[in-house]
Amino acid sequence: MSIDQTKSQIQMQQLMVRYPTGKVALSGVTLDIKQGQFVYLVGESGAGKSSLLRTFYGGIRPSSGTLMVQGTDMRQAGETKIRDLRRHTGIIFQDHRLLFSRTVFENVALPLRVQGWKTERLIPRVRKVLSYVGLGDRLWSYPEALSGGEQQRVAIARAMTAKPAIILADEPTGNLDVDTARRVLDYLMDLNRQGATVIMATHDLHLLESHPGRVIQLHAGSLARVEP
Amino acid sequence: MNQRNSAVIPDKVNPRLPGGFNLPPFGIQQILALMIVCIALWAVGVIWLGMQGASQWVGSWQDEIRIHVYLHSKDTDKATALKQKLELVEKVESVRQVSAQEAAAWMQGWLSDARMNQQELADHLPVSFEISLAEGASEFLFSDIRDAATQFGAVVNEDEVNLAQAHQWISQAGYLAGFASLILALAMALIISNTLRMTLLARSDEIHLMRLMGAQEWFVRMPFILEGMVLGAGAGIAAWVLLWPVVIGTGDWLYTMQIDLNSWAMLLPLLFGGGLVGTVGAFIATAKVSSGDIPSN
Repeated sequence: MSIDQTKSQIQMQQLMVRYPTGKVALSGVTLDIKQGQFVYLVGESGAGKSSLLRTFYGGIRPSSGTLMVQGTDMRQAGETKIRDLRRHTGIIFQDHRLLFSRTVFENVALPLRVQGWKTERLIPRVRKVLSYVGLGDRLWSYPEALSGGEQQRVAIARAMTAKPAIILADEPTGNLDVDTARRVLDYLMDLNRQGATVIMATHDLHLLESHPGRVIQLHAGSLARVEP
Repeated sequence: MNQRNSAVIPDKVNPRLPGGFNLPPFGIQQILALMIVCIALWAVGVIWLGMQGASQWVGSWQDEIRIHVYLHSKDTDKATALKQKLELVEKVESVRQVSAQEAAAWMQGWLSDARMNQQELADHLPVSFEISLAEGASEFLFSDIRDAATQFGAVVNEDEVNLAQAHQWISQAGYLAGFASLILALAMALIISNTLRMTLLARSDEIHLMRLMGAQEWFVRMPFILEGMVLGAGAGIAAWVLLWPVVIGTGDWLYTMQIDLNSWAMLLPLLFGGGLVGTVGAFIATAKVSSGDIPSN
């Protein structure tokens, strides 16, 4: 994947998000995230990290301001454009949201299945990404048979299987011990080196020392600090 | 590991990928719904088999019910006047005077070719009028025909009147059967819809994930539409199979009334009817998941 680090992947101007309840989640956020960056979103609980991540895949729409994600205007985009954007976006959740009634293969294959891949074509691809996260031999296991760290690695495999341009990770290390969290972050860093833009919301500030990246701090829905 | 080997699925492993044309697995809820819909479809089948038997009983294989009036006098003027009088009765479409030769030939046939003298038979037969009835019923139709006949000393074939009246009652019963079938179909659609709603709830995480990954609406909904269709069609076939004991059990009794029920005629209506109500139920169940998680501005 060729990376043009001058090209904006996500641009926002005076972004504001207000929920139907009236609560303002984000206010006046102006940011530019370039292709191939590794970005940490930090801030206290309720600062707006998850809301900001959700706007990047159309989970919530901006109330005002502008937001362009991979060239898509998120305020004006129709459902077709949002679907297309989601096909190029990998999402990792804190609770990993694996389907426990389905095998590891079925979980990881889901993004490709959604894109219409046939089973025969899926297996080599899924095996490859699972081998990458060290779970090549757990293709036909069920998630409940895996440890928390392994489950999060399956979630990473699921997020990367469709080779997305952006990976959004919402506190992926939140439930993991320090060593496992570092290993999960190693995978995300490696995906970033391969060209994916990674945006990760986190509370684990100690990870920033071992895995440096651009830090965007939010406070009460507004931008508090951007480094560098 | 080469590409060819890595695509091999081990024995006893059957990947069940969600979405598209893949059916969700059947569980106890689906089996219960299938049984309930089967009973409802069986009831519909019994109703329409009953209609079929009743229609055979009154001889509705005839396209048109005709009433015959017999005048024993050979007076031509009287016959003409009677014909004119009968034509004036409301809901009488036409009156045809049956020729003596035609009546004699029919009688000869009815008596199983008794080899009677045709002319002699024609001389002894009354003047016959064949009345064709118009569409729709008139409350006093048969009384008016009787009155007209009585005025000229003629008689009406009361067996035919009874059959015509029975035919009218069966037509009314047909509407009732149609209405009952419609109500049962609605109930069946709601039962299937409720079952699928439970499946949708159980799979809400999966549906949400598929949408987050950019799945199209048809891709998310299709398994549930197919499940509804299969549930309905399966219940239809089961209901049809369960009609056979009824048909076989009542066969001897019905045979005494010259009724021969045709169960095969119910196969396609029950199969496609079941499939249709299942599909309608699935559309009802999936209607509320159409909004997805893509909020509008």
